[in-house]
Amino acid sequence: MTDAAPARQIDTSDTIVSVRDLEVRFQTQDRRGMLRAIDGVSFDVRRGETFGIIGESGSGKTTVGRALVLLQKPTAGSIQHNGLNPQELPARDFRKHRRDYQIIFQDPNAALNPRMTILSSVLEPLDLAGEGNAEQRRQRALQALDRVGLSAEIGARYPHQLSGGQKQRVLIARALTLQPKLIVCDEVVAALDMSIRGDVLNLFARLQRELGLTYVFITHDLSIVSHISNRVAVMYLGRFTELGPTDAVTERPLHPYTQALLSAEPMAVPSGMREDRRIILEGEIPSPLDPPSGCRFRTRCRYAQAVCADQSPEWRELAPDHWVACHFADRPNFGAN
Amino acid sequence: MKGASRTTPQTDDANAASGKAASTPLLSVRGLGIRFKTSQGQLQATRGIDFDVAPGERVGIVGESGCGKTITGLSILRLLPGNVAKFDGSIRFDGLDLATCSTSKLRAVRGRRIAMIFQEPMSALDPVFTVGHQISEALRIHTKLGAKEAREKAIEMLRSVGIASPERRIDDYPHQLSGGMRQRVMIAAALICGPQLLIADEPTTALDVTVQAQILELLRELSIKSKTALMLITHDLGVVAETCTRMITMYAGEVIEDSPVDDALLKPLHPYTSGLLRSLPHLSPRHADLPSIPGRVPSLAEMPAGCRFRPRCSHATKACEGEQTLQDAGGGRKVRCVRFRELDLPGAVDQRAERSKAVAVPQ
Repeated sequence: MTDAAPARQIDTSDTIVSVRDLEVRFQTQDRRGMLRAIDGVSFDVRRGETFGIIGESGSGKTTVGRALVLLQKPTAGSIQHNGLNPQELPARDFRKHRRDYQIIFQDPNAALNPRMTILSSVLEPLDLAGEGNAEQRRQRALQALDRVGLSAEIGARYPHQLSGGQKQRVLIARALTLQPKLIVCDEVVAALDMSIRGDVLNLFARLQRELGLTYVFITHDLSIVSHISNRVAVMYLGRFTELGPTDAVTERPLHPYTQALLSAEPMAVPSGMREDRRIILEGEIPSPLDPPSGCRFRTRCRYAQAVCADQSPEWRELAPDHWVACHFADRPNFGAN
Repeated sequence: MKGASRTTPQTDDANAASGKAASTPLLSVRGLGIRFKTSQGQLQATRGIDFDVAPGERVGIVGESGCGKTITGLSILRLLPGNVAKFDGSIRFDGLDLATCSTSKLRAVRGRRIAMIFQEPMSALDPVFTVGHQISEALRIHTKLGAKEAREKAIEMLRSVGIASPERRIDDYPHQLSGGMRQRVMIAAALICGPQLLIADEPTTALDVTVQAQILELLRELSIKSKTALMLITHDLGVVAETCTRMITMYAGEVIEDSPVDDALLKPLHPYTSGLLRSLPHLSPRHADLPSIPGRVPSLAEMPAGCRFRPRCSHATKACEGEQTLQDAGGGRKVRCVRFRELDLPGAVDQRAERSKAVAVPQ
């Protein structure tokens, strides 16, 4: 990876978000069941990094993202922003505080009001924040549009007159207007065609370099997450199974689930360039209403033994900065057959 | 058409299965074009589509949204929306022209000799009937099998698509099944009459990647085992690479490249195929800027004259302003690019060496 742009130096002790034992539970409609969307997750996001979260549908990754920007109240556990607990702030400070933590969603059509012009959509957060006069706010909105490569002329249009890639740029501009410190990006390129994805991902990377932003990048697409993240967390049924530097997780995965995910990814390479070994997992992700005991992954794991049903695996740091929740991950050559 | 049957040594299973029949295509599409009536007047969605599918062959049709791949799949069975203004071309299937034959002849083909599955199994399955009922529907229509035999056959089919305890599952309703199981049910329903061709339109797009791997493996195995030809429509080059033997790339309503899959990936002939490949993150160095194709797919109302990819192509010259044809490029390959002989376009890169080196490092 010699020709890669140098990954910027991240100070590993400079934490912007600190999550401890986070739990989010939802009661089912009939009030009899309890859905465990997040079931005990702890991690730190470092200032200036891109923290990737990968998982399949139902893994709880979106709920983690919503909790990070305070759109979802935790059932238990804590989330600290810059060392302080935002939930303890007085209402007025809380509103001001959360401007620093923005989120961008997957579907740009659902996130833009079809009856508002692009400029008024981008202006809305500034108007709500009420900083400066109307003209200053307008200038800031236009600057934000310019930053994402959209002209002032686009601002006069309505969402239906824009392409999918342009709409996603508008959402990025809108998130930027309040000069956030951190942006949660939830499947932000999933709805875009592949030839446009590259453009939008490049834009995210450029804005990070220019503005020193921190990203939490949530996606089901391994190739995207491994391209842009400094560190990756793998999520399964409400828990992290593995967390580590991107290269370590994708090249030396410690958890059987990560190994299976990596091998399931269809690669657009000729058959001669493909890894021969393919792990095909049996079955599908179990219901979070009734998750398996012990290790959540054990029902689909080919290495599962009695201990996996009895005890939840400990969250262990097996290599520097590389964490895993598996009873057997420290055995020599585990998963290498 | 020889082009239809050429494959590389690594991908010979489908053609080995089809044997001598490889010289006569099962499906032969020529000059297929669809024009729609819209509020902006008539718009040409696809035009001049030519391709063949050999018996037992697995062909991938790739392209971005709006390139006409879905409508091409639908037009093979004439499953077209009501606003079609003009339908050109021929669709030869085993001696019959599906584009012009009578509806009753077409009905005998639909679901029996050519079957189709779609992206969203929940909307393709009827929620008020059991899966058994829906799987055996085609049998009841196309054969004289009694209810009991049809049921037995449906159970057998469910088993062959990998559903555990099919005797119980057959009486389930679609909502009782998971997404992956529903897609398996769709595949069972599609294959129950033993079709010669299965058209699968984005069959795994709605599924998680670990389940996608299961379904693709199943489609590949069933196609090889039952010698059913597969026409896999998808936006995902990786899915085609791992499932198909040949890849047809579409852009703006036209076929722009038709090659054995490994050749197309390694040495694409059309700048668009190359651009798509290069935009995939796993073929780029980490954290580096991703190459992308400038501009966007032209709208149907504003198709550029000459090569339709010309406004976005970095290799465009004066010669590209003329109308392009799908040319024979040798080696079973065809391309719609006047400059293909002069261009040397980048394709997939082998990253295994780097990766296996990394894996060898002890933990």
